[in-house]
Amino acid sequence: MRDRLTTSMRASHVLALIFVVAALCLAAFGAATGDTFYLRLGTEALIFAGLALSVDLLLGYSGALSLGQALYFGIGAYVSALTLMKVPSFWLAMGAAFLVTLAAAIIGGLIANRVRGVYFALITFGLAQVFAKVVYNTRELGASDGMIGVPVIQIGLGPFSVSAASPAGFFLVVLGIIMGLYALTAYLLDTPFGRVLTALKANEKRVPFLGYSVWRARMAAYVFAGLVAGLSGALYPMLRGFVSPELMFFATSGNAVISVILGGVGTLIGAIYGSVLLVILKSIIGSWTEHHLIVIGLLFMACVMFLPKGMVGFVRPRIERLLGREPAAPEPAPPSSATIKSGSAA
Amino acid sequence: MSPIDYLQFVLAPQVVNGLALGVAVVLVALGLTIIFGMLDVINMSHGEFYAIGAYVALAMGAAGIGFWFLLVLVPILMVPLGMAAERLLIRPVFDSKDRHVTTLLVTFGLALIVEDVLKVIFGPNTQRPPTPIPGATDLFGIIVPNYRLFLIAVGALIVAGVAYVVYRTRLGAMVRAAAFDRNMAASLGVPVSLVYAGTFAFGVGLAGLAGVLLAPIYSVFPTMGRDFILLAFTVVIVGGMGSIWGAVVAGLLLTQVQALASLVISPVWTDPIVFGTMVAFLVFRPQGLFGRLGHA
Repeated sequence: MRDRLTTSMRASHVLALIFVVAALCLAAFGAATGDTFYLRLGTEALIFAGLALSVDLLLGYSGALSLGQALYFGIGAYVSALTLMKVPSFWLAMGAAFLVTLAAAIIGGLIANRVRGVYFALITFGLAQVFAKVVYNTRELGASDGMIGVPVIQIGLGPFSVSAASPAGFFLVVLGIIMGLYALTAYLLDTPFGRVLTALKANEKRVPFLGYSVWRARMAAYVFAGLVAGLSGALYPMLRGFVSPELMFFATSGNAVISVILGGVGTLIGAIYGSVLLVILKSIIGSWTEHHLIVIGLLFMACVMFLPKGMVGFVRPRIERLLGREPAAPEPAPPSSATIKSGSAA
Repeated sequence: MSPIDYLQFVLAPQVVNGLALGVAVVLVALGLTIIFGMLDVINMSHGEFYAIGAYVALAMGAAGIGFWFLLVLVPILMVPLGMAAERLLIRPVFDSKDRHVTTLLVTFGLALIVEDVLKVIFGPNTQRPPTPIPGATDLFGIIVPNYRLFLIAVGALIVAGVAYVVYRTRLGAMVRAAAFDRNMAASLGVPVSLVYAGTFAFGVGLAGLAGVLLAPIYSVFPTMGRDFILLAFTVVIVGGMGSIWGAVVAGLLLTQVQALASLVISPVWTDPIVFGTMVAFLVFRPQGLFGRLGHA
């Protein structure tokens, strides 16, 4: 007998599979027609999807809204750029970004996890804002201009080698990494640790009585989310060849939150769909008017108010019903996030 | 430089300028803290309401309406806007399970829209209304622009007025009662729903008033709300969410820390110091300097 969370995660995996197939089609089509623009745009959407994934891990599972997740994204990007300018090695850059983000997330987590709820949102907002301001004014890091001239690298994958300059090749590498992060996050949430996180969101006061440390679970979730953001950020300079303080600004964190809300909180795959949707919206609306924020803001507010489970929350119950045919119990298939959310008012 | 000279030419002007900034921050934070104390809502669009106030004042000033009239007119015009925002955006999600996060997200969405709408109507460029009170005064050898002195005086008046209304009038008692226990207040005949909308509108009106007052000093541009918002949030947290006196003390204290620290270290590093103060408060005294509104 499967529980609802497992059923809905399986439904997410089906959506993830559809996403990968669609992405592979785009890559094949792009490679065949020699397209650069759309593949690069898609790669960027995927990189920011990693950031959205980390926001969803915090908001959708431990129930903590981070308004400054771009901090770790930016740290990952800067460390990766600095490393690549010294030694143009993909794995070294990713490793350095991993270690520095790990350290930063532990420090940030020690500060931010002293508080919860709305204070957590404000303190993450402040942390990112202050750090971005310091980077913005540090000449060694290129100050407000950021750093340009990150070399184009060859990414060694065992016997193969992919150039970051190849649109389709790098798109596939990024797709692999982001979907890998998705799979890892989904796996982690299926472990006992993940269930503690879900319990935290449902009722934080009861968790200690079951013998689990609330602080440790929140800290672990925070550090893991920081790492997901940092590793995604590390890919950014490989794509664009530069980094700038804008990567850490509130706009970047805000976009990740918008992606998560549009896609669906607590669904993981929703963050990835949401990020792609946001990029598509921006480029479609952007071709008519530069004031795309009005439309995105309205859509975002409508989602918060009327569609709290986002796009995926709309689609997923149908898939769950398809998947749930085999178990005997004919559940009315309420989406999992509802089960997770109920009780947080207590 | 002798110590007396240092005091007169370096320290004192810095303190006076810090005071003017402090009053500005307190004015923005006042509405924020009242809305939080009363409705339990983090209003992410507060900075944008401040910007709306500044733009409305700019447009009406250009149409020939005098500054003194604007000081009264703009906050009154902001009230229906605040009422509408509360009714249409806050109220529908107010009873959702995670009120803090949901209302924060809704007001964040509103902030995005307002910012872009301001850009559409007024253009992206920075504009500066003329200073309503020109000239400067020599105060014990410190030259202070008259308008900053005026700002400090008016700021003190506004804070005193707000505190009087909240703590000394029947209306304020109703507001505090509804903040403390809304069901009990409702059964005692307080029109809680109206009080909620009114409080939100009052906070928005204060933001608009801050916009009118600060536009001649800090200029008017579509993203102007962002500049103050982190400092205002810091003030609200340090002072205690929902505490009026807390906002005043914390606002003046933090801006003095910022002003004096920038004498010794690079101004870039004053933000981390101010933010560090906020973190220290959250760690050691999470309720802030003073308790919250309605909880004495």
